[in-house]
Amino acid sequence: MTKVQLKGVRKDFGAFTAIENIDLEIASGELVALLGPSGCGKTTTLRMISGLEVPSFGSILFDDKDVSEVPVQDRNVGMVFQRYALFPHMSVEKNVAFGLKVRGTPRPEIEERLQEILDVVQLNEFRHRFPAQLSGGQMQRVAIARTLITKPSVLMMDEPLANLDTKLRGEMRRFIRALQKRLGITTIFVTHDQVEAMELADRVAVIFDGHLAQYDAPDALYQRPNSIKIADFMGATNIFTAKVDASGQAQTSFTTLKLGPDEIGQGSRNASVILRSEVIDLLLTAEEAPADNTFAGVVTAREFFGATVNYSVTCGDEKIIVTEQSRRLVEIGQQVWLNIQPDRIWLIPEAA
Amino acid sequence: MKNPKPPELARHRRERLWMMLQLLPVFSVLTILFGGALVLAVLQSLGFAPWFGVNTFPDFSYFGALWGSYSFWQSLALTLYYALMATFISLVMGVLLALAMVRMFPGKSLYKYLYKLPLMIPYTVGIALAVIMLGNGGMLSRLAAFAGLISDPSEFPQILKTHYGWGIIAVYVWKQAPFVTLTIYAVLLGVGRETEEAATILGASRWQTFFQVTLPQILPGIVSSTLIIFAFNIGAFEAPFILGGGYPDTLPVVAWRYFNDADYTLQLQGMATVVSIALIASGILFTYLALYRRYERRIGRN
Repeated sequence: MTKVQLKGVRKDFGAFTAIENIDLEIASGELVALLGPSGCGKTTTLRMISGLEVPSFGSILFDDKDVSEVPVQDRNVGMVFQRYALFPHMSVEKNVAFGLKVRGTPRPEIEERLQEILDVVQLNEFRHRFPAQLSGGQMQRVAIARTLITKPSVLMMDEPLANLDTKLRGEMRRFIRALQKRLGITTIFVTHDQVEAMELADRVAVIFDGHLAQYDAPDALYQRPNSIKIADFMGATNIFTAKVDASGQAQTSFTTLKLGPDEIGQGSRNASVILRSEVIDLLLTAEEAPADNTFAGVVTAREFFGATVNYSVTCGDEKIIVTEQSRRLVEIGQQVWLNIQPDRIWLIPEAA
Repeated sequence: MKNPKPPELARHRRERLWMMLQLLPVFSVLTILFGGALVLAVLQSLGFAPWFGVNTFPDFSYFGALWGSYSFWQSLALTLYYALMATFISLVMGVLLALAMVRMFPGKSLYKYLYKLPLMIPYTVGIALAVIMLGNGGMLSRLAAFAGLISDPSEFPQILKTHYGWGIIAVYVWKQAPFVTLTIYAVLLGVGRETEEAATILGASRWQTFFQVTLPQILPGIVSSTLIIFAFNIGAFEAPFILGGGYPDTLPVVAWRYFNDADYTLQLQGMATVVSIALIASGILFTYLALYRRYERRIGRN
């Protein structure tokens, strides 16, 4: 159980600044995702926490103790690499026991802990196999076991689900989540995939160009992003500029939207409204729609994903994406009415 | 399994025949040039040389005469000493260089070109450089005298033309360390840094990481590169001939002396020497490979 803090951390590689002044606090036992596009500095951040890189400025604290200068070997952290980095010339059990062997743990204790951890990751029957003889999910479990056997104070993972197929992904996600909860180990992982971040993490730190853009729970990040860039990165499609007045009305190019009670009486301003595609109701007749926040449009495209369907609905000059459970299929060219509840609309002030 | 039908069998046979036909050119070159020469050498060493008026075929008298003399074993020891020493030093230096090359350091891009330079320069030029630099009256001795370390260039310690063979080893290492570096560097690039980093995070020291993680992964590169340079070193002629300490000579030089003798019947003795070198070299390399295979099987690699 370790609390991890980054204070004013900056990392330069020659003239290139990978990380510019990041402050981050990860509570003990928390599972945090570092999310950002490739090249944003999230892996560098992870490598600095692990000790593989030394920050140019600032400090990294474990339980309020500065560890910025502590060499990797003594930092007692664990890292699961994206391509697992298993030792190809060692069998599964030698891979897993490596960390204890190099620390000079007595043989009987190694045996005992090896057995224990192989049971946890359900790899007992594969203990004499070599990495090349394992599937992706098995390799990842070896990598996790190899790390956990050393009882690290912080567990780090680089893109833990990226190399797995869809079915295995769900399995590994549940496995990692259950393991993390059971051991209560502070876990930090890096990903460029917002779905992966949301499905695993307690809190997500979004990093853009070496800056911490937002640090919040997945649902907050998804529903209440603090900038258009984050909204865009989190997969929001319907972002429109609007004029908001003091009465809580947002004037967009296609309709006037009534906003939630929080937005009333804040004076008139320019802002962006975000209409999440899954909170918009698609109606076939005007009669069944509530009076507020209903506007007409025409379905111009349809994408079928199995469980869900995306419709492109043209309203005025704008195109609005609506996501629905695929219980029905609306034909292209159909006249429809869209409705959105006022408190489901998220507003981002213009400056952001 | 289903029995193949005759037409399928015929097609299969045709394909095999076509494959053989395609391999024919390379097979014939190998058999005639390489195998033919080998067979002739062995025949001569066994006393078959009617064109010299010698035909005692087959007997082992030439081998007997050779292996019975004390100087043969001295020559063999010297040959092995130069070859093994140069191979070992090249290996250590080459691996260290390769390990440095996968890390970042200032001037790396320039160095990446620089270290390959000896690979493009012939051995004879390297030997000439050794004479110019390391000989008594060479650059180093003059510099040492100029700096006041010794009072006269002739007092400079003898490096060339001794049986310690530092000159020979220096030339081999100068040429072969870059070769080892080139091979190991390529292997290291393929292996990547991640397993090393994983080992470090798991608490391994530098030594533990190198010997338990990096070395086993670059071993195939080490084996193949040392195999090549050792096979060269044991049979190389120019460097020990020019920079060696005279009698007793290394085996290739001994063979050359027989071939160059006015008494051409000694050529058969030379052939026996050449065949001996081939036997010894292949024996050592075979043992080396067998040991490596055994290691690979022990760690479970097939």
